[in-house]
Amino acid sequence: MNLQSALKQHFGYDAFRPGQEEIIKNIVAGRDVVAILPTGMGKSLCYQLPGYLFQKPVLIVSPLLSLMQDQVDQLKQMGEKRVVALNSFLTPDQKRYALHFLEEYRFIFVSPEMLLQPQVKARIQAMELSLIVADEAHCISQWGFDFRPDYLRIGEILPESNRPPILALSATATDTVLADIQSYLKMNEPFHYMHAVNRDNIHLVKKLFSEREEKIEWIIEHVKNTAGPGIIYTQSRSKAEAISLQLLQQNISAAAYHAGKEPQDRQFIQQQFLAGQLEWIVATNAFGMGVHKENVRQVIHETMPATLSNYMQEIGRAGRDGKKAVAFLLYCDGDEQFAKFIASEDLPKNIHVDRFTEVMAAGEQPQSLLANGEMSEVVFRVLSYWLARESAEEVKNRMLNLQIKKFEEVQLVLKLIEGAECMRKQVVQYFGQQLTKPQENCCSNCGIDVSELVEERDPSKTMIKMTNWQHRLKKILLINS
Amino acid sequence: MLIQQILLKILHTFQQERTVSAAYHLLKGKRSGQTIHDVGLFNLYSYFGLLPKLARHKFDEQIDLMFAKSIIIIEENGFYTMTEQGKQLASKPVRLSFDGWHYRGNEHLFFGRLSLIIQSLSHQLHQKKAFIPIEKNEQVQQWVRQFLVRHQYQKGMLQQAIYSEMSASLSESAIEENMKDILMYRLTGYNEPGFTWQQLAFGYNMQEMDVQLHYISALHTWLNELYREKTQYPLLNEIMQNIRVEVVLTASANATAQLYRTGRTLEEISHIRRLKMSTIEDHIVELAMNEPNFSIEPFVSNKEQQQILGAVEAYDTKRLKTLKELLPQLSYFQLRLTLAKGATHI
Repeated sequence: MNLQSALKQHFGYDAFRPGQEEIIKNIVAGRDVVAILPTGMGKSLCYQLPGYLFQKPVLIVSPLLSLMQDQVDQLKQMGEKRVVALNSFLTPDQKRYALHFLEEYRFIFVSPEMLLQPQVKARIQAMELSLIVADEAHCISQWGFDFRPDYLRIGEILPESNRPPILALSATATDTVLADIQSYLKMNEPFHYMHAVNRDNIHLVKKLFSEREEKIEWIIEHVKNTAGPGIIYTQSRSKAEAISLQLLQQNISAAAYHAGKEPQDRQFIQQQFLAGQLEWIVATNAFGMGVHKENVRQVIHETMPATLSNYMQEIGRAGRDGKKAVAFLLYCDGDEQFAKFIASEDLPKNIHVDRFTEVMAAGEQPQSLLANGEMSEVVFRVLSYWLARESAEEVKNRMLNLQIKKFEEVQLVLKLIEGAECMRKQVVQYFGQQLTKPQENCCSNCGIDVSELVEERDPSKTMIKMTNWQHRLKKILLINS
Repeated sequence: MLIQQILLKILHTFQQERTVSAAYHLLKGKRSGQTIHDVGLFNLYSYFGLLPKLARHKFDEQIDLMFAKSIIIIEENGFYTMTEQGKQLASKPVRLSFDGWHYRGNEHLFFGRLSLIIQSLSHQLHQKKAFIPIEKNEQVQQWVRQFLVRHQYQKGMLQQAIYSEMSASLSESAIEENMKDILMYRLTGYNEPGFTWQQLAFGYNMQEMDVQLHYISALHTWLNELYREKTQYPLLNEIMQNIRVEVVLTASANATAQLYRTGRTLEEISHIRRLKMSTIEDHIVELAMNEPNFSIEPFVSNKEQQQILGAVEAYDTKRLKTLKELLPQLSYFQLRLTLAKGATHI
């Protein structure tokens, strides 16, 4: 089978990106594969191309609904009609229809929750698949930052013998996470592809402040004077709103982006950003997935992310075009406390474990705890999974260990700021890799000259002016320029 | 803020005879007998179902704000009284007109269809076959696909036709010019993304929620223009399919109405339909509320109507219990009918 010509035929590309060909070759040979590729490096092609080589459907298990939607959109945009997404958005009629014609699809996307529904599970187990893909596979690990119990049980639906190859995909995974993925998926001596974590065109800067307000002042001044496009990451919706408003008042075209925005508004922002009409996006970590913009020049972290994985993933949205870009990490005393709070916010606490067991012992439905707001959905999900398998004491211990682990992760991010060792080296080592050679203007700890890396802002690039409605309508519908 | 002005107007119109929750149900467009009854009784048609997605906590925020500003005083049982300041503020007119009764949030569905049609046509104009649809709802996508095929969009003539209808109808609509701008900037074209509420709010120096209310008001006004001149705007009227709520009577009330029109008495209708007399009376009240030409003379004489309306005025109340105490010789049915009829004349 000639992979090159298949690539040209189905996708119109002349060459594979690094890693893709090796990964696909192994899949075609029937071997399990674990592939760690950063977002934007053509992860999805690794299962899309096999979809056209095999005559049987590809099953893609995807835990993040927004990402699933994005990938379905992408395939449909390419003209692929035989694609379906089985998730909670389907109406009962749509679901029945999709399940009935399941063999007819080329790509079947499914959420872990849906996969475990008896009806869906039975249907999938009874059909022949060419490939099973576990997307965002780090979620399978209990050490991953988005623990999803249902995803752990993906192994339950996999046939013991005579099964198609499994492809586990992730943008980020440490050694412990990798080990978890392999064991939960019962993978059979998988082929490993690890993309180099280091992105040498992204330069790492840290900025220390003594007051919180100074950070905002610095951001405004910096953005006023240096060129975007850029992304500012914050930890809360209200902060994203406030900072974007301040930028707008400085005549900088900026927009807030977070999960509280209407879907329509989120699309407008993404499209404007891609079209170059928007210089800065001020976002919570809800922003990023599915945004494929090549020329992001700056990423600013208004406060520290909870893990180095998050940090890498977020700064990785800069400089996809290979040209130089800068990542600023701002810090003020006490930021790590906030990061720890955010990191452990979703973890079940002892009181939750106690309440859950109390209700169970009383013979009542634990769902009532969810309904009356006593616990969040995540807490409920995690406890339902573990309390069915372990004693209350063991679960408490498990949660305590998780919390300690999460705090340790925050400490590692703090070391970037407090430590003197090369920032790049610290991040790369976290992923179990080594730096091959030193580089110029590497990071704040090695010494860096920011003025060489960022360009001056062109102040004429202000916000797009609105025209009157008739002109706008004409432009959209009639003018073919 | 506009939303507070609207709330104030509603609370003021309720004359402190309802709880604050009644205002919430009204804005949400709750289809319970009580809410529908209130709509007619207090002539609040324009605000019914204005914000179908309004979250209770957002509503409560506004109420708390009005409480903090000493505009209203909340009592323990959920009822409220308006302060002098509140009454003064409420007497100012709300500058925007709404037609919640006829649209009930469906205006968003209309705009969703229109957005996707315009986006598709704009891309077609630039020979772009594939794009990410601005509207994710598959039913809307399906509807739009059928619309485009039915009008042979491949010929490339639909752009001009829709443009002409939109341009003409918007020009005829009594909407402020900059609000028409807002409508058009919520549309998306090829390389022309729409503007977010935050951007529009910043551009017009308004609160986001106020921009959204202006947008709803503009849509209602536009839709009413389209409805009035059906034959002039055939394409847009097609996009309006099932958007305007025309069946204002419940199915059961409708059945009663038909029997009543053939000359049956209420007793006969009750017997034929095997429904309690009180239910039939409910239907007649509903009918009186919704049909401007419905005569209540057969049930309440003109003199009795004058008595009731006089009492409403003199005691400044529409509370049935109070009115019954004042006019014990009249039945609740007569009181409700007169109030329902009175409301449509205000």
